[in-house]
Parts: sequence; structure tokens; C-alpha cells
Amino acid sequence: MLKQLFTPNARPKTSVFYAMVAGQVLVLLLLWLFYPLQLFPTLGEVGKAFRDLVTTQGLIQELWASLTTALAALGIATVLALALSYLTALPFFRPLAYAASKMRYLTLTGLTFFMALMLSSGHQVKLSVLIFGATVYLVTGMTSVILTTTQEEMDHARTLGLNEWQCFWEVVVLGKLDDMLEVVRQNFAIIWTMITLVETLYQSEGGIGLLLYKQNRYLHLAGVVAIQIVILLTGALQDFVFEYLRRLFFPYAALKAAK
Amino acid sequence: MPNHTYHEPLLALRNISQQFDGEVVLRDISLDVLDVKRPGVQQGQVVGFYGRSGIGKSVLCRIIAGLLPPSTGTVQVGNPLRPVVPGDVGFVQQRYPLFDHRTLFDNLLVAAARKHAPAEAKARVETYLERFGLAPHRRKYPAMLSGGQRQRAAIAQQLLCSEHLIILDEPFSGLDVAMIDEVKKIIIEVTTLDELNTVVVVSHDLVTTTSISDTLWLLAPERDAAGQLLPGATITKEHQYNLADMGLAWRPGVDAVPEFVQLVQHLKDEIRKV
Repeated sequence: MLKQLFTPNARPKTSVFYAMVAGQVLVLLLLWLFYPLQLFPTLGEVGKAFRDLVTTQGLIQELWASLTTALAALGIATVLALALSYLTALPFFRPLAYAASKMRYLTLTGLTFFMALMLSSGHQVKLSVLIFGATVYLVTGMTSVILTTTQEEMDHARTLGLNEWQCFWEVVVLGKLDDMLEVVRQNFAIIWTMITLVETLYQSEGGIGLLLYKQNRYLHLAGVVAIQIVILLTGALQDFVFEYLRRLFFPYAALKAAK
Repeated sequence: MPNHTYHEPLLALRNISQQFDGEVVLRDISLDVLDVKRPGVQQGQVVGFYGRSGIGKSVLCRIIAGLLPPSTGTVQVGNPLRPVVPGDVGFVQQRYPLFDHRTLFDNLLVAAARKHAPAEAKARVETYLERFGLAPHRRKYPAMLSGGQRQRAAIAQQLLCSEHLIILDEPFSGLDVAMIDEVKKIIIEVTTLDELNTVVVVSHDLVTTTSISDTLWLLAPERDAAGQLLPGATITKEHQYNLADMGLAWRPGVDAVPEFVQLVQHLKDEIRKV
């Protein structure tokens, strides 16, 4: 049974796999508990900082504020990115998608400054920077998915007598929706990186990024680790929800994966 | 006295040539598939299509299916003949593509809905599911089907929307003997469904394909009078075999007939020639 855990491509029983994961987490916690690194806060300190953050500094409210902003940005960015990516079917719009994809190299700090000049409220600045940042990453991933369309797939649709728009709808839009959702899931992590940065640059609205910035500034390492763990767990939960939605709406997606 | 007669053409290729970046792949191909009639039988046509790997068979198939415009020449299909457009000719590619995001029933319905009103399309899909032994799998996604089921589904999908002409690319590849018999049965069934139904079978399995065909095409390079190899492959008159006239078509157990064995040997020798 243990041998399976070290055999390439083996598929151990679910119970064995989860017992292994639990064991690994336990070893990590025990190491943290009994062999603390000098610079790294102990488990007890992090737990205490977490309680303090929740009770006195509104960690949950700040997390909620950041999460709702991130979700709003992701929703709008997804619609924009899908539109831009699908428009690459038309040669006229290809330069636009190409340019949007390359804009991921722009720095958010410089962008925030321009957004602040153009928009009146802090929330709008934060949201628009996040939308921009997420859109350019999503367009890159989504156009890559579209480019995986094969000649065989298009030929198949054409032999059924579908016209070019219908072929595009069937093969590229409907046929790759599950992959698009996967692109959105993967890029949601980038929004968390951006939101903490944007909240630091534009502090009027608070958020978990600002909370993290304050812990860093006053060298509350235990607080920093506690917030990072909260973000990590939130991200893991998001991944789980996206995976669930993928299985729910696109049951065929899991069938394509290697077993 | 032959017990068959030939009538109007169902597929006509005229002077087809194809070049890619100046490289000639196909040259001057002219062919006809005529409607063959046999007394008391609803007899479609089966064309076996051979050629060495990489010689351009798939390119010619895509041209016949209207998926690739030839550099020169024309393809006409139907009765009466008209220039081919995508959708006129069914093309079952080697990996039997289906829409992975649709169930088997929906895959067939997409095809049937191209030619029929919704209620009629659903009824036709039901008929084809039954005929191809796929009814118990109607709710499955393509990834849940076996290779044989997938192949039958792909053929059924193309039959539901194409105009009598269907190309099967390597339908016997990787199948065991029982499955090969099953596919042969399907091809024969398709060609006896309608007088005008025509199946072009692209294959490297000479014995199996020849045994169900009434016509053979061999795509091969050609040499000029001086013995120089001409650029691109073609199907010469000598490489168009009429099995019906040779008495080798529509005969059960034909693969044991000495003339059939000789023909297969001749085909192998021709394919080996450069």
C-alpha cells in the first residue's frame, strides 16, 4: 500500500491518499511547533495574532471587502476577456487581443496613478485597476485555449454543414467553455496578488491588503503569517468552488483528464 | 453478361491539382463515380482508396469534402452534379471526432437538425441510434464511448446530414477481426440504404477494403516517358480499377477467389513502386 505512494502514475485508494495528506500536514505542524525557526513566528504566536486580528482589527470584514471587490473585478474581467478572445475569430480584432495580452507587462503602480487621475472614487480606481490587470492575464490564457483548436475539430464541424459562425460557436465557444473556466480559476490567484498591492497604494477603502501592509510596517510577523494563511485558505476554498462548478456545469471535462 | 449498369455520375473530379508553398502534392486527377444499378438490389457504391502514407490521400479527401479548395480543378457532387461545398460530403476522420461537450444524442441531433425540422430530426436520430446499436448509450458523452461505438456514432452523425457521399479515413485501423467484420457490415448497410449512397474508404488494409469495394483508386507517383519521376501524386487510368466489371464486386467470400488474391498482390506491387 505504501509502495503505491512512490510508484509513478499510481492511483492509491482515496482513504490512503487523504491519510497521507493528513500525515504530511501533521508533520509540518509538529515541526513548526517543536523546531521553530528563529525569524519565523511560532504556531502559538500566529494563533494569538489571528485572534487579535479578528477581534480588534476586523480581519473578517476586511477579508469580505477584498473578496467582494475581487469577485466583482473577476466577473467583469471575465466578460471583457471572453469578448476580446472570441473576437480574435475576426481578423480586424486580432491586434486588439494581442495588445491586451501584452499589457500584462505594465506595472500596476503606474496604472493606479492614471486611473486615479481619470476616476473620482477610490473604489472605482481599485476596481478598474483590478479589472484591467485581470483582463490582460485572462485574455492571454483564453486566447491560448482558443489556439488549441485543431484543424480536425473545425473540419468535423464543417462537414456537418455548419457555417463558419456556427462552427465557431460549436467548436470554440461551447466546446471550450470548460477550459475557459479553468483559465478563470487559475488567474483568480493573480487578483489576490494585485488586490493586496492596490489596497496598499490606495488605502481609503481598507481591505485585507491594507491590513497586511500595516502588519508588515510594524513588523508584526505573526500577523503577517496569520493573514497569509487566511488568504491561502480563501484561495484553496475558491479553487474548490471553481472545481465544483466545473464538474457541475461541464461534467464531460473530467472525462478528458488522464486516469 | 454483367448484371450491373452504370448511370449518371455522383462524384466528378476534373483536373485536380494541389500545391503547398510551390510543392506539388497532387497532380491532374480526374475521376468519376457513377451510379451503379443492379436488378432487384438497392445498390450504392463503395470506392477503396489506397496510397502510401504521406502521399496526399488526406489532402484529396479534404478536397473532395469541400474543406480545401484545390489549386486547380473542380469537384462536383450530387445528382444533378453541382460544385461541392462543406457539408455535402460526410468525412469521418481517423480519430472519429465528435463534439466532446455534447451527449451522443445531442451530437446526432446537431447533424440531423441541419436538414430536418426539430421533431423529424429527433425521430431520425432515434432511428439511427437503433440502427447503429447505440440506443443504450444515448446519454453518454463521447469520452465514455468505446472506440467502436465512437466510430459508429461518427458515421451516423455524418450520414444524418451529408448528401449520400461519405468518406471514411482508415475505418479498419487498429480493430480486431470481429470489429472489422462489424465495420464492413455497417459500410455495406450504408450502401444498401439508398441507391445513391457512396462510401469512399481510405485504407491500408487492402484485403478488407478490396473485398467490399466495387471500385479502387490508387494514388501514386507517375513517371514520364523518359522514366523521370513527375512531381506530385495522381490516380492514372491504370490505377482506377473497376471491380464490378472484373467480377470481383458484391461477392461473399471473394477474398478466397484466385483473381482477387492476384489483384491484391498486384496492388501491393504497385504501391511498393516509387
